[in-house]
Amino acid sequence: MDLHRYAFSSMGCPCEIQLETDFESGASAAAAKAQAEVARLDEKYSHYRSGNWLACLCASAGSGRAVELDEEATNLVDFAAALHAQSAGRFDITAGALTKLWDLQSGRVPAQAQIDEALARTGWHRVEWRRPYLTLPIAGMHIDFGGVVKEYAADRAAEICRQNGVAHGVVDLGGDLAVIGAHADGSAWLAGIKAPRSPEKVYASIELDRGGLATSGDYERVMIVDGKRYSHIVDPLRGRPVESFASVSVLADSCLVAGAASTLAMLLGVERGAEYLRELDLPWLALDADGRARGNIESAT
Amino acid sequence: MRPSAPLAALLSAAAALLPAAHANAADSDEANTRASYRFSEYDEDALHGTVVGDPRRYRVLSQQLAVDTKLDGGAWGLKLDATHEVMSGSSPWFVAPDAQQHPVQVLSGATIRDHRSALSVALTQGPGTSANTTYTASYSKERDYRATAIGVERSQPLDAATTLGYGGSFSHDLIEPTDAALYNRITHATKNTASTFASLAWVLDRDSVLQAGVQVNLGHGYLTDPYKLFSYGADIVAERRPDRRVEAAGLVRYRRSYAQIDAALHLDYRYAQDSWGLTSHTIEASWYQGLGHGWRLIPTLRWYSQSAARFYAPFLAAPAGQRYYSSDYRLGTFGAFSTSINIRKAIGRWEFSLGAERYHSAKGLALDSGAAVPALVDSTRVWAGLDFGID
Repeated sequence: MDLHRYAFSSMGCPCEIQLETDFESGASAAAAKAQAEVARLDEKYSHYRSGNWLACLCASAGSGRAVELDEEATNLVDFAAALHAQSAGRFDITAGALTKLWDLQSGRVPAQAQIDEALARTGWHRVEWRRPYLTLPIAGMHIDFGGVVKEYAADRAAEICRQNGVAHGVVDLGGDLAVIGAHADGSAWLAGIKAPRSPEKVYASIELDRGGLATSGDYERVMIVDGKRYSHIVDPLRGRPVESFASVSVLADSCLVAGAASTLAMLLGVERGAEYLRELDLPWLALDADGRARGNIESAT
Repeated sequence: MRPSAPLAALLSAAAALLPAAHANAADSDEANTRASYRFSEYDEDALHGTVVGDPRRYRVLSQQLAVDTKLDGGAWGLKLDATHEVMSGSSPWFVAPDAQQHPVQVLSGATIRDHRSALSVALTQGPGTSANTTYTASYSKERDYRATAIGVERSQPLDAATTLGYGGSFSHDLIEPTDAALYNRITHATKNTASTFASLAWVLDRDSVLQAGVQVNLGHGYLTDPYKLFSYGADIVAERRPDRRVEAAGLVRYRRSYAQIDAALHLDYRYAQDSWGLTSHTIEASWYQGLGHGWRLIPTLRWYSQSAARFYAPFLAAPAGQRYYSSDYRLGTFGAFSTSINIRKAIGRWEFSLGAERYHSAKGLALDSGAAVPALVDSTRVWAGLDFGID
């Protein structure tokens, strides 16, 4: 069987679908459908776009109007609500105002007054959620599905490949992986985890033959101001980027669950995050800021 | 290995989004056109007790083909439904008193054999959204009966958690009994039925919905069964019913899902009362249990109780000039209990279903007591169906 690779760019990161099959035409059709699904989710849920579904949802904030969500968005919001509960409020999809404020492209650290203003527009507990109706009570509230949608998209893309007859392959959306199926000979895929401080290097290789692998870290999207690193993951309770692991990778039956676990661990900080990952009892591997490795995954190389 | 408690919570929250769950959802939701075929057989038990005539009761073989599709890019939903039924057996004709004045059911001598064909169309504007309108039309034809009906219903959210539903329908039926001249039956009659309903549904929380509604049905015209006779003193005459019937009903429905164990509870209650003096209660409970790998098991229990119409009597030994009289068991006091089990299996875009229902009716199951009803039915129904997505 031949390996076919389809690289594209979506959700703000490099993506690749690798399929192992004898039939190239079937593989390229499956990859095209999977890529279209990723593009659909990017278009619908990206908070970097204007005029999309998410922007319309955010535009309702403060109007007192409830927006009826479709089944998919309802399930995503339910999932986010469960993560909010499980992380004692640290995972919060209403933190969009803070995410926008900590715009990593700007190279500036926002003033405390700006942070306080954004915090006043943040808080899942302020939202009225009577599925499928969502009411955003405060004008300027922003929903951000980061930490959920990319991982969900990876699972969807893998599922679409399976539905289109592809049995062996892997979907990689900027380091979030969903396995379509192990290699044709039954062996596992090997995922290289980039070294946080030197992304061109691989510090660990993780074998996976099913499910998903997600990595959260302060290297994919990071801003360095006056020698201090600011991660793209903002603590919605303090209004500032978390000081946590340099990188957390989690393996699970789906990329969605792996991504939720790694994001929650990042948000909880090194000690509580490690404790949470041990409680979850999923395979994980993390590097703290000093480059010390933790976790229960043995690197394959 | 059992997942840890926090992982179980994570998996449960993710379940609706995960590929395994999505594979089924995607197949049922994303197929633009779905078709289904269902076959069912309904058999009434032979009557026990004192009967005259062939005690083999009614049997109905039914086939149904339905197609559900989206039009105009999903803005409209179209549903077509064709049914063909073959009915055979003898049916209760009239009740006569024996020497001790006990009622004896007389069954129609000749075995009825008839078939019914029906076609219905439903066009929904905005299918799958909470504000939608459905227009329906149907036509049904038997050798001696034709029914034409039209209707419209609308669903409209009032606020985030409340949805109003309302609608109405009208049916015009034409009755042309067979062997009219031979048995001195009416040769041609019509009846009209108008119905209207309104309901409110409340989303109580993320797992439960409560719906309450009222319905009014007005029947006018020939509401008598042209085949039923009645022992009126020494005479056997055609039964007679009023030519107007007003029925009012109230219903409550409760739906609760138990996502963690992939199950749902459906509880329904209906109360109805009509101008003939007939009142009824229906309670139904269903449990939808997912068993994994696309299997689903749905047991249902239903209890029904009705009190008799004012003019129901098995027979009148000494009539006193009553205008209306019927010994049709469907107008007497009785109760019924039915249990059914339905098992479904989804394989990709296909879903197979098998079911069986046992129905038992008896006077003792009714809330009220009333005159004897000798022809109460016990029946069995079995069905098999398959449902598949086309594109």
